[in-house]
Amino acid sequence: MLNYSPKRSDEPIWWSLFGAGGVWFAIVTPITVLLMGLLLPLHGLGLVDLNYDKLLAFVASPVGAVFTVLTIALPMWHAMHRVHHGLHDLKFHVGAVGKYLCYFVALVFTVLAAIWVLDLI
Amino acid sequence: MDKLQTVNVLRYDPAKDDEPYLEAFKVPANDTTSVQDALAYIKDNLDKSLSYRWSCRMAICGSCGVMVNKVPKLACKTFLRDYPEGMTLEPLDNFAIEKDLVVDKTPFLERLEAIKPYIIGNDRKPEDGTNLQTPAQMAKYKQFAGCINCGLCYAACPQFGLNPEFIGPAALTLAHRYNLDNRDHGKKERMKLINGDNGAWGCTFVGYCSEVCPKHVDPAAAVNQSKVESTKDFLIAMLKP
Repeated sequence: MLNYSPKRSDEPIWWSLFGAGGVWFAIVTPITVLLMGLLLPLHGLGLVDLNYDKLLAFVASPVGAVFTVLTIALPMWHAMHRVHHGLHDLKFHVGAVGKYLCYFVALVFTVLAAIWVLDLI
Repeated sequence: MDKLQTVNVLRYDPAKDDEPYLEAFKVPANDTTSVQDALAYIKDNLDKSLSYRWSCRMAICGSCGVMVNKVPKLACKTFLRDYPEGMTLEPLDNFAIEKDLVVDKTPFLERLEAIKPYIIGNDRKPEDGTNLQTPAQMAKYKQFAGCINCGLCYAACPQFGLNPEFIGPAALTLAHRYNLDNRDHGKKERMKLINGDNGAWGCTFVGYCSEVCPKHVDPAAAVNQSKVESTKDFLIAMLKP
């Protein structure tokens, strides 16, 4: 029998974080990797003046701090949402415990990112 | 020229058989022989006890869904010429078998009915004349209105297979179709089911429903647009005192 008046799902919260993480990881993270992973060690290829002190100053600025926390936190929410639903797909029906454990891991990374970044400011 | 082609059919008569089994038939086929023609040939010439559903023979009634080599297909729209190695026909996945290729579609019909796939809250009378829509208003929902209720998307959906409480692709798509129709005012009634864990949120966007849909309705798109609607609905409900 179908439940005609189901409880409202809390999935919009998790799905929104998942969506934000996906968008961030697809659009913003590649640029970050290009800048920090390639152009920084290659000294900006002589095209841009990029160095460690400059990046550190950016991370320690208010905009840079938010950017850094989001760079770490959002893809984490995305990934843990995937893990949570992936477990169900693989028939590991771990229920609410699995769900909250997944999102707890994402929360831990978010808090740690915030602490690390605040430490730099 | 007709040549004999092998068609394996899953047989099951709950009154006689302990479990389903495959039976091979040799069917004369040419380039125009559809799976439905093959089934008709078997029933008329080889085994009159074979049960299968069919009606229109032109992909509009949605009756003849079967698994062809494990893929949900309309029997009338699938041709033996594309399966030179032979084919195996089974009843639609994720539904209980009634007999042979006939499944019990009750769970699907129950879901269709539950999401109220009809215009609600429009008190226009016949004397008001036609309820005109602009092309833009119609374009919003037209693609999702192409559903023929064949149920192939339910046979394809791994989430429906894992969670029989899931409202599922076609019903959610039709709910979305009416929610997008500017003549309709029943969105509030439909959102209750969509907002639940077994509504739009039961979907993880596998997308196989859209792949198998014989009318290119793209149920995966409709369900995921419904997730956006449900998220908006969630936010509004949070903000309301």
